[in-house]
Order: sequence, then C-alpha cells, then structure tokens
Amino acid sequence: MILLSAASCRKDWLDRKPRNIITEGSTTWNDPVLILGVLADYYDRLPTDMGLVDIDHSSVDANQDRQAQWRNMADYDDAMWSGAGQDARNNYTSYPFDRWRIWNYGLIRDINLALENIEKYGTTLTATQKIQFSAELRFLRALDYFEMVKRMGGVPLITKQLLYDYSGEPASLQSPRAKESEIYDFIGSEMDAIKDQLGNSNAATTIASTTRANKYTALALKSRAMLYAGSLARYNNLMATPITTLGGEVGISASRAQDYYAKSLAASKEIINSGFYSLYKSNSNLGENFYEAVSKKSGNKEVILAWDYLSAKNKRHGFSYDNIARGIREDNLSSSNIAPSLNLVESYDYLDGSAGTLKTRTPDNTDYIYYTNTTDIFANKDARLYGTVIYPGAPFKGFTVQIQAGVLVWNAAANSYTTVEGTDLGSNYTDGKALTAASGPHRSILEVSNTGFYLRKYIDPGVNTSTRGIQSDMWWVRFRLGEVYLNASEAAFELSQTTDAMLYINALRERAGFAANSMKALTIEKIQNERRVELAFEDHRIWDLKRWRIADKVWNGSTSNPDAMVSALYPYRVIRPGDPARDGKYVFIKMVAPRIRAPRFFQLGNYYSSIDQVVLNNNPKIVRNPFH
Amino acid sequence: MGSQFKLLNKTAMKNCLPLWVNASSPSYRVSRYSPGILQVLLVMIVMNFTFIYDVTAGVTSEIPIKKIPFFRPITGKITNSKNEPVSGVSVKVKETKTGTTSNENGDYSINIPNATGILTFSHIGYADKQIEVASYTTVINVRLEENQSTLNDVVVVGYGTQKKATITGAVSSLKSEDLMRTPAVAATSALVGKIPGITARSTDNRPGNGTSIQIRNLGAPLYVIDGVPYSTSEGATSFGFNTGISGQNLFNQLGLEDIESISILKDASAAVYGLRASNGVVLVTTKKGKRGETSNFNLSGYYGLQNFTRFNKPGNAAQYVRGRLESEQNLGRSPSLLYTKEQLAKWEAGTDKGYKSYNYFDMVTRPNVPQYYISANASGGSQKSNYYFSISHVDQDAIIKDYKFDRTNIQANLNATVFKGMQIGAQISGRLQKHHNVGVPGLDDYTNPLLSISSMWPTESPYANDNIKYINQTHNINVNPATYKNDVTGYVDEMYRSMNVNLTAQYDTKFGLTLKGLYSYNYTNEDFDGFEYTYNAYIYDPITDSYNNRSAAGALYGNQNPWREKHKRNIFARFAQIQANYSKQFGDHSFSAVAAYERSDNENSYFLVHTIPPNNTIPTQLFSNQDVLIDDWSTEARAGYVGRLNYSYAGKYLLEVLGRYDGSYLYAPGSRWGFFPGISAGWRISEEPFMKRSGNGFITDLKLRASYGETGSEIGYPISQNRSVNTNLYTAGGSAPDPFSYLPGYTFAGTGVDDGRSAVLDGNYVIGLRPRGLPITNLSWVKNQSKNIGIDIGVLNGKISGQFDVFERKRSGLPAARYDVLVPSEVGYTLPNENLTSDATRGVEGMITYSNKAGAFDYAVAANGTFARRRDLQPYKPRFGNAWDEYRNSTVDRWSSINWGYHVIGRFESLQDIESYKIDNDNQGNRSQLPGDFKYEDVNGDKIINALDQRPIGYAEGTQPYVSFGFNGRVAYRSFTLSVDFAGANMQSYFRDNELKYPFQNNGNSPAYMFEDHWRRVDPYDPGSAWVGGTYPAFRKDLTTHVNYNPIGGSRSDFWLTNVHYLRLKNLELGYNFPKSLIDRMGLARFRVYVNGTNLISFDNVKEFQIDPEISLGSGLIYPQQRLVNFGFNVSFK
Repeated sequence: MILLSAASCRKDWLDRKPRNIITEGSTTWNDPVLILGVLADYYDRLPTDMGLVDIDHSSVDANQDRQAQWRNMADYDDAMWSGAGQDARNNYTSYPFDRWRIWNYGLIRDINLALENIEKYGTTLTATQKIQFSAELRFLRALDYFEMVKRMGGVPLITKQLLYDYSGEPASLQSPRAKESEIYDFIGSEMDAIKDQLGNSNAATTIASTTRANKYTALALKSRAMLYAGSLARYNNLMATPITTLGGEVGISASRAQDYYAKSLAASKEIINSGFYSLYKSNSNLGENFYEAVSKKSGNKEVILAWDYLSAKNKRHGFSYDNIARGIREDNLSSSNIAPSLNLVESYDYLDGSAGTLKTRTPDNTDYIYYTNTTDIFANKDARLYGTVIYPGAPFKGFTVQIQAGVLVWNAAANSYTTVEGTDLGSNYTDGKALTAASGPHRSILEVSNTGFYLRKYIDPGVNTSTRGIQSDMWWVRFRLGEVYLNASEAAFELSQTTDAMLYINALRERAGFAANSMKALTIEKIQNERRVELAFEDHRIWDLKRWRIADKVWNGSTSNPDAMVSALYPYRVIRPGDPARDGKYVFIKMVAPRIRAPRFFQLGNYYSSIDQVVLNNNPKIVRNPFH
Repeated sequence: MGSQFKLLNKTAMKNCLPLWVNASSPSYRVSRYSPGILQVLLVMIVMNFTFIYDVTAGVTSEIPIKKIPFFRPITGKITNSKNEPVSGVSVKVKETKTGTTSNENGDYSINIPNATGILTFSHIGYADKQIEVASYTTVINVRLEENQSTLNDVVVVGYGTQKKATITGAVSSLKSEDLMRTPAVAATSALVGKIPGITARSTDNRPGNGTSIQIRNLGAPLYVIDGVPYSTSEGATSFGFNTGISGQNLFNQLGLEDIESISILKDASAAVYGLRASNGVVLVTTKKGKRGETSNFNLSGYYGLQNFTRFNKPGNAAQYVRGRLESEQNLGRSPSLLYTKEQLAKWEAGTDKGYKSYNYFDMVTRPNVPQYYISANASGGSQKSNYYFSISHVDQDAIIKDYKFDRTNIQANLNATVFKGMQIGAQISGRLQKHHNVGVPGLDDYTNPLLSISSMWPTESPYANDNIKYINQTHNINVNPATYKNDVTGYVDEMYRSMNVNLTAQYDTKFGLTLKGLYSYNYTNEDFDGFEYTYNAYIYDPITDSYNNRSAAGALYGNQNPWREKHKRNIFARFAQIQANYSKQFGDHSFSAVAAYERSDNENSYFLVHTIPPNNTIPTQLFSNQDVLIDDWSTEARAGYVGRLNYSYAGKYLLEVLGRYDGSYLYAPGSRWGFFPGISAGWRISEEPFMKRSGNGFITDLKLRASYGETGSEIGYPISQNRSVNTNLYTAGGSAPDPFSYLPGYTFAGTGVDDGRSAVLDGNYVIGLRPRGLPITNLSWVKNQSKNIGIDIGVLNGKISGQFDVFERKRSGLPAARYDVLVPSEVGYTLPNENLTSDATRGVEGMITYSNKAGAFDYAVAANGTFARRRDLQPYKPRFGNAWDEYRNSTVDRWSSINWGYHVIGRFESLQDIESYKIDNDNQGNRSQLPGDFKYEDVNGDKIINALDQRPIGYAEGTQPYVSFGFNGRVAYRSFTLSVDFAGANMQSYFRDNELKYPFQNNGNSPAYMFEDHWRRVDPYDPGSAWVGGTYPAFRKDLTTHVNYNPIGGSRSDFWLTNVHYLRLKNLELGYNFPKSLIDRMGLARFRVYVNGTNLISFDNVKEFQIDPEISLGSGLIYPQQRLVNFGFNVSFK
C-alpha cells in the first residue's frame, strides 16, 4: 500500500509520455536538423513505378500503394518474371485500368503543411534557411504532381493545407481536377520560380548534390515534364480519336506542343551547358563504363538526382539478392527474378549501325550459325547492351555467367539434332561437359532466367551484396545527364532543329562505342529506340510509350505480334562428333519465353489510369478518365 | 455421585433431564461411569423445582423453575465424507424457528426448546439430513453425504469467491485434477473440450505452443492470475516466438501442477473487470497450503513419445517425374526435353544408380520423440501460516531433430497471520524457459524444415553422391534437410526468464469488514541469441569422382549469408490494488460488498544488435561487424474503481450489482474513463418450500439466472470490413488503437507504414521525421452489452446436473469511418474512425453431467457444447449500388464471416465437352481448359463465370469454430480409473492453398495423394492419348492463375474450401492406484501410475488431405498437434 500511494504521486496515472514520437511542433520547425529529417522522409516517399525496393502500402492507403515496385520491371517488354510466386506477371490478359494509379495527396498535404509550418513556427530560422527549405519542398511537391499527372492526367492542384473543421460540410474543400496542361504549367512555373533559390550546388567546384534538389535538378524535372507535355500535345492529337475530356483534364491542345518542346530544350541546354555535369567516361571498357555511369556513386558527374542507400547505416535493399544471376548468387535463395527479354537485347544496334537482330540462323535459314563462344553472337554490339544485361558468357563480379539451356545432339540417321535439356541446373551431359549451365536458362525451373539473360544494371558488384544479410546500397537514379541529352535531342527534333538533335544523340552513341556522328538521319522511331536502350529499367519506357501514344500499338495483345510477346534466347552446345566446324560449338534458338502465356495488352483505357471510386465519391467535382 | 440422588428412585431419575453440562458426555453417564469430570452441573426438574447439583462440589441448590430458561443445548461437529469440517451448514429444529449454522471448524451448537425434537442439517451440495434428538443426548456429530453435484464448490470469481450454488453469472470452473488429465505443455491446451463456452483451435503446435482459446468466440479473453490482470496484447515475433508479455502467455507458461483452479467469467460477471473484459475473463488461482494440515509432499512425472497426428506425405520420384512430364504436356511444351522416355522408365524402376527416390518426410521428421515432465511440491501449514512450494520441469523435443523446448517453473505461495486478524502473504512464481532451434536462414526456423518435405525433389539426394560428408547442392539448397543441424547452419536460442511476485496483506476486523492490499510486480526478460553459419555444399562429378564446392563460374555453393543477432526484451508489469470486503447476515438476509481501487502499468523495451559475422567461429558479436541496432519501447497504463454488492434472501433470491469506473491510457483525456455496470439475479427454485414439499428428491437443485453487464473493448480499427476481401479472416478481437494516437506530432525513423522514413542525403544518413495524421480525439472504447439467461439444474440428488445458457454480447460503437461526410481525398488525410457500427455475438452453451456408483464402479459422464457466432447488426448508414451489391456485401443484420465462393458442379469430361460448353468458364472462351477442369455453377445464368456467381460456401477461416463440443467420461473400479475426453468442432472453414493446391508449388514436389489421383493423359509423351479421370485437375506447374485455382473474380471454390468438422479423442487415460496395504509399507500416502494417450483418434472430413483438422495454414506446412503416448506417476509421501 505504501508502494501504491507512492505511485499515486504521479499527476495522472494515464498520462504517459511517448518515447517514440516527437510531440513538439515549434521545436521541429526551428531546428534545421529536424527539418532536414522531414525532407528526408519526403524524399524517400517520392513515387516511382520501379525503383530498387518494394513499398506497398495498399493495406493502409489504397492510393499510396504503388510508391515503388521493382517487380514492375518484369511487366513490360524489356523483361519478364523468372522468380517464384508471381507468374501472373507473365500472364496479364490485359493491364488493369487501375494500374499506375496513384493519388498520393498524403505527401502533398505533408509538404503543404511543412511549407506553412516553416513560416508559422520557424521563428529562429534565417531567411536563407527558410527560402532554401521552402524551395526544396516545392521541388518535391512539383515532382509528386508530375508523377500524378503522367499517370492520371490533370489532378486537383492543391497548394495549401486543406483543414476540415468537423462541421459536416466539407464541400468547401472540394477542388475540381486541373487541366492536364495546368499541372505541367505548374511544374514549369514552379521550377522557374525556385531554381535560383535552391542551394545544394557549388559553383566554384561545379559539384552539385546528387541526392537533394539543386538548380539543375529543378531544370531536369522541367526538361522531362515539358517534353512529356509537348509530346502529349503532339501525339495525342495525331491519334485517330484523341483522348480528351471536355474540361481538358485529359488532352492538351496541339498548339502548345512547340512551346513545351522549346521550354524542355531550354532547360536541357541549361543543364548541359552548366559545367556541373558530364557524361560518365571513366572506364575504357565501354560496357563497364555504361554500367558505371548509372551505378557508380563517386566521381560520377552524370547523375543529377538519385534515391540513395547506405549499407553502413542499414539503409539498404535486396534488389541484388533478388536479381543477381542464378549461377553466381551468394545467398541460397532468390535471384534471377527480373529476366531481360530478347526483345530488349535485339534493340541494341550493332556498332556498324545495323539493326540489332541477333543472327542465329544462316541467311538461307538452313542451319544454325555456330559460335565458338556464347559471347560471340553479341560481338560488336552497342556497349550499352553489356552495361545493361548479362548475356550468355558475360562476366560479372569476376565470374563468367554461364548460360546454356542444353545440348543439341546430332542424330545422323534422322539428319537432325535431338535437343536435350537438364532437369536441374549445373548438370553435366553424359560427355562430362555442361548440359544445363548453373545459370540456366530453364523452361520450368523458377528463380533462374527463363529468357537466357540477366540484369546487370543496378546489380551490386560488391562482395556478398546479393545475400540477405548484407544486401546492397546501390542507388536508384531518378535523373541523369544521359536522359537530359535524349530530352534535348527529342525536343530539338520536334522543333526541327535536327542538327542539334543528332548532336546530342550521337554523343551518347559515341560513348557506347559507335563512331562519331554515327547517326546521320534522325526519325522519331530512332529516338524512341535510343531512349529504350539508353534508359532501360530506369522507369522510362512505359511513360515514353504512353506519351508517344504507341503503347496500344506495341503491346496490342496479339500473340502474333513479336513486340507484345516476351522472347527468349536459349544457347545450346552442339554434340556432333566428326564435324569439327560444329562439334562443341554453340547455337542459339529464339523462342517466346516458355513461361510467358499471354501477350502484353495495353488498351486505350490504360493511357490514363482509372480514378479510385472512393476518390470520386469523396469529391463530386472529380470527373472520370475516358474509357472508365 | 452424592447422596442427594438417593432421594430419587430410579423412575424419578428417568424423569430427570440432564440439561446443561459443559463437558461432552451426558451427565447420566457421568454419574455412572465418569465421576472424575470437573464442573459438571446437573439440573434436575422434579415436580416444579429445579435442583442444580454441582457434581464436583457436591452442592445442590434449589431454584424455582421459572427462574431459568427452559432449553436444551446440543452441540456437535459436522464433517463430510472425507472427515473434513463443513462450515455454513444450516441446522434447524424442525417445525420451529430455531436455527443456526456451523462455524469454520464445522462446530455448531443449538438449543432445543422442547425436550425432544428433530434436527435438520442442510447445506448446498450435501444431502439434507434429519436426526431425532434422543433423550439425554447432548452431542450430535453429523456426517453429511455430498451430493453428486458440485454445488458446494467454492468458485473464484472477480474480487472474491462464491459458492457455486449462489452464483448468478455465467461462470464455469475447472479444477486442478481435470486440468492435469491432459499432459499439456501450455495450460490453454488443457482446457480444450472440458468447459462449455470455451472454443479452441490449435493451429501451430511447435513445442511450447498453446492452443488459441476464446470464450464464446468473443475474442482474446483477459487473463487474471491470482487477482492480477495482465496485458491482452498478443504477439509473436517473426521468429515465431511469443512476445511473452500477455496474460495468455503467462498463463500458458505457469507450471500446470501449480494451478489450483480456473474460472471462466463469461457474461456480466466479467464486467467487474471493465474496459478489457468484453471478451470474457479467465481467472487463474494457484495452489495454497491448508492451515493445520500435515505436510504433503508430492512427486509426479511422465515420459511420453510424440508423433505428428497428420502431415502430408510427398510423392516419390516416379510419381514426381511423371507428374512433371504431364505438366509439360499440359502446358504445351515438349515433355521429352525434361525427361526422356528412357529416363522416365528408369525413375519408375528406381533401380539404376542415380535413379533412387528420396523420402524427405522421413528425412526431416523423427518418430517417437520424447516429452517429459517432473514435478515436486510440498504444502502444509500450521495454525498461523500455510505454504505451498513447487518446482517442475517440462521438456519437449521437436519432431525435427535439434529443435527443443524446455521450461522450469517454481512457485512459492506463503501466507501467515502476524497478529490477530492480520495476514500477509506472498505468491512468487518463477520461470526459465528455453527454445532451441537450428539457425535456418530466414526468420522462423520451423518454416524451412516443413517446407523441405514439400519442396525437395524426390529425385535429388541430400548428400552429394549420397556421401554424408558432402551436403548436396540441391536445386534449392536452402531447404536441403542435410543442413538442419546445429553444427552446419547454426543455432537460435531463445530464453525467457520471468519472475512474478505478488505481495498481499489482509486485515479482518471483528465486524465483518476485511481490508486487503495487493501489489504485484512481474519482470519478464527475453534473451535471444541466434547465429546462422555459412556452409558449403557440393556437386559430385562422376567423371572425375570429385566433389565441387563451387560452380564452374566460380561462385561458392551452399549458404554464404552469415547472420548473427542478439536481442533482449524486458517487460515490467506492475499492479496495485486496495480492496475492502464486507459481509453480514441478518437472519435470512445476507449482504456482501466489495470496493476496490487498482491501477496497473507496464513497460516493454526491446533492444537488438545485429552483426554480419566474419566467420563461424568467433562466438561473440563485435562492433566492427555490427549493422543494425533497434531500440524499441512501448507502454500501457490503466486504472479503475470497482464496486460490487451481493444480496441474498434465504439462499433463494440472489442479486448481484456491480460497477467499475475504468480508465485507459489509449484514449484522449476527455474520453478515457468509462463506467461499466452489471447486474445479475438468481432464483433458486429448488429452495422454495413448494419444491421442497413436492420434493420426491427428483429435482434437487434448480436455479434460474439472468444477467446484464456492460464492458468495454479497446478496439481501434474496424474488423475486416474491407468489402473487397473475400477471405473473411476475421479476428473477433479487433486490434487495439495505436497508443498516443490522440497526440499530434512527428514519427521518426521507424519501420511502420506511417513512420518517418530516413534517407541518405549527400552521403549522410538523415533520420526521417514525418508529421502524424490528424490526432484521434473522438474515438473511445467500444461498448459491449452482455446478456445471459441460464439455468442450473440438479436431478436425482445431483447425479445428473446441467447448466444451460443463452447469451448475446452486443457491441456498439465499433470504429468505422463516417463516410457520409465525404472529405475529399485531396486533403491528404482520412478522418479518424469514430465509434459507429454494431455487431453481436450470439449463442447457446450447455453442459450435462451424470455420475453414479454401481457396486465397485464409480463413474461419470459429461457432455458440453457451445455455439457462438458473430452477427453484424447495423453498420453506419449502409448504402448499396444495386441489389447484387446489397446481397453480396451487406453487413446489415447478417451473420459475419460468410465465405463467398464458387460451386464446382462438375468436371470437363473431354475435349469435346470443353468445345461444346456454352458457359465461359475462364473468361477466355474456355481456351485454358483441359479435361478434368472444374465447371463452376453459373448461378445467375449469364453464361459467364465471374464474381456475380459467388455464393456463400463456408464460414470463417483461421479462427475459432462456431460450434465446439466435448465429451468426458470417467470410470473408477477399485484401484483403476479410466478417463476419456473427446473434443470436437463444427462450422469452420479450411482453404487448401499453395502446396496443397498448386502442383509443384514453389518449384517443389506435391503430396503423394495428388499424384495418385488426378486427371492426366495415359501417355505423357502423346498429346493424343486418352484422358484418365481423378480427383485433382490436370497438372500445370506454376500456372497458379488458372481458373481451377483462382476462378475469375475470386479465389475460393468449394473444391478447395472445406467446412471442417471433427471429433477427436483428446485424451485417454488409464490409471492405477496402488492399494493402501502395499503403499503403507512403502511409507507412501498415495501411489498412482497411469498411461495416457493424446489425440489418438480423430473422426473428421480432412483425412484425405492428410492434415490435422485444427490447422489453418492453407499449405498444411505447419507443425500439427502431436499424438502423444505417455507413462506417468503420482506419489504422495506420508
């Protein structure tokens, strides 16, 4: 009882002070360290379709569930799913209309709140600090709006905290959707307004932050957003039936195309000419160089903004664990989930400028072409192929990634080959040599490539980074100079400044091993292919195909359309004793990847994602997108 | 004898009444045989004079008769058949108003107003007795015969005890001996099938685990152990260990033998526990010694052998290979690329080298794994103190080698009277508990071994070239059981050390008021130490006869992912209570009252350090290798005022009124406190004169009970009201609101969805801060109204007794969104839930027992059953888009957890059948169908199968069955006892998924029964060959999206969903008591040996899936219950 009365000295027994929450507002907004913490949270919440992590909050907020899903890399035509448990990714009968949907006004609210609280509480902050933080917050808000507009079309433009007063009358909080163009214009004007307020760059050393917004990050966003707006204005109106709504929530007038392209080009040029950035050219092995251009964190003046990780502080991810080539995995689970497609591999041109189609059969199609090494078929290809994917026999982390599906045994009596494939990986044929390689490919085994290719881009080269215990701190590049070159090239092309357009595109090609000025004539198709090969797996292709309004044609849901089917390339070792020209050599068979069971099917209703019914219910001023 | 007696002749002497003596013998006899007794007064009435004769002094005085009261005192002692005193026995002189009751020593004294009379002795639970008072009798000792019923049992209820007979609430209780009949490691498992109202499901039975029990399917109950309520927050770590902080865990981890009784408060009787009592209360009392008892010393123990009840057996190599070929064929790929015909033939023969079939069930599991228990206790007491000491140890090995569980418990319960009326006591319990697992990569170490059974290919060897020196680099080395050894893959040790100390003081005043104080302190520590080694694996190369530990590319085989973690959880739980009890009897009116104030809090802190060990050798963690640190904290705090009044009139009319004013830290200051009243009344019809009069002894006890009570529930979120979810995985409890959600502020660097996320900015790790959502200040606890009507009946002198209850618990104010106030999504936050919707759990329960003796047979049988199901009542302003929406999604006054799915009405018999089938079964024009595929019922007749064709096909999955029942029987014949306990359940659904559904799931094997009985072509190499029918559809490896498994619009069909019912023999025990003549010579008071079987037989409808009927995991890859056969003994020393 003494103990009891002693305990009752506390003022209110039920008033407990949490140790895992900061409850004080004014402290937070006067402490630059804590404000940076708020920014850190916002940076980390920026949505992307891919990324190196999976952040799925669908159970909590249906409109924030797709913040980042690396698995989406398997959903288009650049790759397929070769892992376990998600074979639905290989069997989409069509993309659902709610795909790519986000409505993440949670982040918008938090940013607006921060902008207001800095003004309201930040009494001891210097004016410079306030300007800097506010500008950075506005960058984040604009980037979030960009992620929304490219998926949803025009969305309500909310730039102030909306506070509900529990009056039961929330109508005053309802805003209609802005026009699609208005969101792009907002992004453009915001970037213009803040670009010179943003710090995070040092003019003397020409070194800019790669993880926080600076002037050039703002310009990079502007470059991309204006390019999207320009191409929407142009290509949507070239469709048989342009996709529009009466209020302009979807659809931009064709007349605005030139203006947007010009703004994009100007922003791109300002970055290119700033002296802060240069294409990464530090490794004489051009394939490795391209890999490093994306993945190398130090001494890399190409990357403009990245989502960074740091293993030493337990900020890391399992992307390498999940996607390293099977035969060289360090953990005993996972690997190989994202398997790049033959479609992608063949889109890399040969360095002589010829189309990238791989030569597996003799010109008269009577026999295979016999290669001494599995790598030979990829000889003289665009170095970006090496830098992006691991093809049969390519090295990684000091290992050779052996990829062989089986053997072709010559049956002289039948005058044909008998195909023999292993039931397990790393198996040997009766001749004591490899039957199925440790990295496959295999038609039915999971967690081994089903296409014959593995991902190189974003796979960590560090020792044991593909283990669950150590993981990887490879960063995710949101903006880099390579894209800005392509943006500039495309904008210039659309503005009929073809010389400039070729200048930028050839700079990238030259870095990939092509001769100087390798591209002599430019078409939009060439620009499209160039973006595919340069920016593969960097979360561009789906958005590019959408803004060019070709997604429904490339992925038309037809099994007879090779672009809609994900293809594979299976290497075999030939056993044909007595024929030294063929025996022991390698041949390749192209096929639809065995685990792919449905073509990619992008419908017109996919150009803009459907708006969640709950959102529509909550605000009657929101109009639906077309086709929904 | 003095000369005065000479005045009287013998006849006169007979007329003298020896009336008043202070010794225990009649004076008549004193006068004749015992002249030495002191101070014997003899009063004789002769004519109108009274002579008082002092035997010792030899003096006679004469008093006129009117001067002394005319009465005749009788005294005596009342005992029961065990010679124990019985207190509170009503002693009455028949046909008079004179009456008394026996005291705590069983003594009584009464004055008979007439010279002769009949004394009646009555007491609840005993047969009434009438004794004619003979002349000259002054002492009548009575032995009462117990009724067969248990009405005289003292039952622990909230804040006190009551006689079972006078309880007005729905309270069931279980005594130690009934608990001990099941050799359970965790106490919850020992309750199954024995108490009406308890529903049980045992879904994961790894060593040390208990059974999930609920009271009337209301949700997780509150556990109160020796008067101390503990936290209800349940949890398991990602390693599968209990977080150890809840009352349920403390209960489960008590020494089973230390439990004296368990009471289950099911209705308003629980309301005295207020805010957390809505799901019922489990009251646990530990054993105490008895005062004035000679010392008891008991030893008991058992040794048992465990086997899985059921677990599915994987296919053999021939089955597997053929199935794989069929799958390739069915998927339109070339089977011969996988296995040639020659290879198939070799696998089917299984004789050639390299074509051996491996059985991974046998590899992973062991038969007849030991479990043993040993316990010693001593109890006793002097006049001023009593004690109970015990120590026990239970040890349970897992079916999987190198996995084990053991626990040691101590209990010391002491009580002493320090001065008159003042008692102090202590109840101390301690526990050391250890789980040892093999450190299998991945979190829960039990996952992989069970997964291995299904995942390993029967075509691959665990050891390269079958050489046990080399672990084979199998297709998935992670599940190669050759690695599941401490010295290969490492270890995980998890240790709990827990001490619970209750200190009590009690002062009894002389006028019926008792004051009590209780302080309880619980300290629980969890220490986790895990080390997962790297290890190598090999592939044998027959050409060079070598074992290679790395691939040709150079990458090492095996596991190169080392892992080391230690963590600690410290939990401090404090509880303090002051209590006043008062009881008084005025004639037939008896009152008692309780008032109490109590408060409790706990703190839970967690600290984790993780390293990446550079090798498998250095045993400690080094800072240089550290990569993770977690420092976590949580708290709970509550307080409450308790009051209760009991009134009874003549033991017939019973009334209880109670109330509690309770507060919880979870809510904002304005909505913290709530008042929870309860009232219950009982009418013991059997005590009415008309029943007594008509009493032919047939109905010996009859009581009607009714109760109403209000309680709270700390529920923060709506329970499974997500309308798009069909699984209905519903937890009756709901989850608690987030602590401190009433505060604004910022979260930082957490791991939750709403926690601030950190980022790496300019190469520096920046701790993230996130503004929290709107503070939740308008949400409070959920209100519960519990109603219960019950009847207790005893027939044939209690040989048959029954208890039946009808009940409802209505919840109102379940949290939900006020969705008609539509705040635009663009505001960026959602309005907090408010207390808006309602539901009810309704049901009936009952039990009936019959016990009797027939010659040397002494036997009892009992049956109990419970039906309890939740019904949604009124959601907040429901609205529906159309009639289908309402039919499919309404929760207005409808049973909850309806499982919606498709009816399978038949199979496609042939390709022609598919061709000509008019209903689009797969939304692809039946392009994906093969013979043997399911035809779903097109309920709405629109020729296409989609979500509109879903209909109710079952009940909730994964939670308690709606119907539970049990049968118990006991026969004693001379020195033998035989007891059986059956437990059963009905109305629960099990959904087969993953390994039990998809062939070759996870790139592995499938159950043998699936291979033996499925649709296939006769020749896996010939697509034109004939189809053969079976139970399971044609194999298509990895095509989990197929409509056989996932119909368009939903995943459930009544092929994969089974409404499980079972009746299992939980327990069968044969015991033998050594005869007294023998054990006397051994110096023992009791010596009993027994053999006991658990889960020996099960009658159910999931046998064909080879799963235990109580599991809920769809894949079946969970540690099932054990079939345990054990041998035990109990010895009591003199």
